Amino acid sequence: MSTTNEMMNCEEYRHAVAAEPTFDGGAEHLADCADCCAFRDQMRALNVRIAKALELDVPPLNPLDLPSIDATDNVVTLAPRPSRAKPGWFALAASVMLAAVLGVRMFTADVDDASLGAAVLAHVDHDPSALVVSSTPVSNTMLERAVPPSVAHMGHDAGLITYAKSCEINGKTVPHLVIQGEKGPVTILLMPDESVATAQTLDGENVHGVILPVGNGSIAIIGARDESLGRIEQSVLSSVAWST
Amino acid sequence: MDNRSKDAARKQKFDRLVAVFHADMYRYAVWLCRDKAIAEDVVQESLLRAWKSLDALRDEAAAKHWLLTIVRRENARYFERRRLETVDIDGLTAAQSALLAEAPNEELNDLREAIYELEDDYREPLVLQVMLGYSTGEIAELMGLKQGAVLTRLHRARLKLKDIVAQELQE
Repeated sequence: MSTTNEMMNCEEYRHAVAAEPTFDGGAEHLADCADCCAFRDQMRALNVRIAKALELDVPPLNPLDLPSIDATDNVVTLAPRPSRAKPGWFALAASVMLAAVLGVRMFTADVDDASLGAAVLAHVDHDPSALVVSSTPVSNTMLERAVPPSVAHMGHDAGLITYAKSCEINGKTVPHLVIQGEKGPVTILLMPDESVATAQTLDGENVHGVILPVGNGSIAIIGARDESLGRIEQSVLSSVAWST
Repeated sequence: MDNRSKDAARKQKFDRLVAVFHADMYRYAVWLCRDKAIAEDVVQESLLRAWKSLDALRDEAAAKHWLLTIVRRENARYFERRRLETVDIDGLTAAQSALLAEAPNEELNDLREAIYELEDDYREPLVLQVMLGYSTGEIAELMGLKQGAVLTRLHRARLKLKDIVAQELQE
């Protein structure tokens, strides 16, 4: 809340103090307005009573039956893969794809987790427009174009998404999103086909981040070095589910 | 670190979070769903979810926000599952009545009842601000709102309560 004193009228002052009874701005207005002084005192007294009325006794917690956690478990549970009847040509196409993937793998066997991290870090600043501080969310159309329903479902509670495009990481097209963090833009790469065994920490020049294992893929989250990524990681993890 | 040590460290971290934040989780859940029995269920489910995804909490400074977000989502899931309808104050269950009966003194009964009857959109930011010490920016983040909207809701919530208290005094 701003504590600017200039030009505050009764309505503005009362709105501010009713929203936050500890509001300490508007001193110049208060000096000339006994009614608003009285209103402020009334709001502060009411707030004390509200706090008392909200008080509750907390019962002891019933013992929790905590399931054992396998070290290889993923950090989130993803929606089950939808079962679809597949036409006959699908098996043929899948065989061709599998052969192609195996062929590529033979040449890229050394593309390990570390090189994935390097590829992710190298990608963060490939597009200067991705790293703009902004309060304008991307349109649903752009978001859906970057994160097609066939790849993943992305909830709207991940944060303020200001950039959404399809990019290439390790030869695969992946959704590249940017969420506004507290210290600036935070890059999110959804990589449904890049599996990592465990969470990997990323350290780049002026940035840090993590690649989290999610289902059969992973999600990279990279922000400014002083950005606290914990909350963003949690909100992203809880708002993304792979479609396949 | 071997697996046994990792498990022990994980359990220790979880127990520490429960010890510090269980009360806040419960109080928040009670005022979200307005039913103490449901709140206990919501908190139990939330803690199980927190346990399963504990490795996602990398910054313990964000633990309170993380846990309250889980409670908020778990409460929404609970009501989606049960499709419970809002009840008016004359048709309360025993657990709901127990919440109102717990007012610290007679003088606060009316105010507690008035808070109970506030719309969810007004009650939740008020609880977060007054009871859990959240800033309006933090409330906006948790509820997915703009800060201006939070300020307006808080302002309206207090004016409603002020009017109700004034009416009660006149009666």
